Amino acid sequence: MSRDELFLAELLRALEEAKLEAIVVGMTAAVLQGAPVMTQDVDLLIRDTPRNREKLEKMRTVLGAAKPAEVSPLSKPLVIMGAALPVDILFERLSGGLAFAGLRARAVRIVLSGRTAVVACLADVIKSKEAAGRSKDQAALPILRDTLRVQEALKAQAKGRK
Amino acid sequence: MPRRSQRSRSSESAQLFAQRVLDTRARVAPLVPEVSDEDLLLILQSLLRPIGSGRRFFLWPTESGLHVP
Repeated sequence: MSRDELFLAELLRALEEAKLEAIVVGMTAAVLQGAPVMTQDVDLLIRDTPRNREKLEKMRTVLGAAKPAEVSPLSKPLVIMGAALPVDILFERLSGGLAFAGLRARAVRIVLSGRTAVVACLADVIKSKEAAGRSKDQAALPILRDTLRVQEALKAQAKGRK
Repeated sequence: MPRRSQRSRSSESAQLFAQRVLDTRARVAPLVPEVSDEDLLLILQSLLRPIGSGRRFFLWPTESGLHVP
């Protein structure tokens, strides 16, 4: 395994130990579904409950990271720094009106080192980036859309063969 | 295992993977005419390589402030 995969495996282990239910979203979700892009952090979406705030604390302890900090005083997301890479924690929903339950229902499951990552499907990643509208998201959209087209073509072809 | 044999096996598996990418491209390209040949190759190389097989996708910070794969 590469160090990138090892970091993801370590993150999944921390989530499992903390019993924290999280959906991998953002560019890491896209990468895990074959998008040829790179990213600097991992985005996780969780439900905002007092119990999950406690589990978050446990997770960051397992990772050996610092306490979650606000990304900015005006926004709700948190960032966990001090692990090998930053982990952004988002709560309840993504841009584009994508709520936790719907994202989880459409998510794909990807196994790494015997642990399962719940990963937002590529169509949802694209929808959230279209809605977020930041320039870095706009720049990534063409290759994400092309990856989705190829993914769907491969699925259609496999279905046609059956 | 002797080093030369390891190298030859690794080169063989790289060759097999490259062939699989090219075969898949030949099959799928007509279905996605809007995707350029270059992007299709990049996408298939990522799509066909399962997670856990040594994929690299993070940019890591270095002391100089740069981010590198």
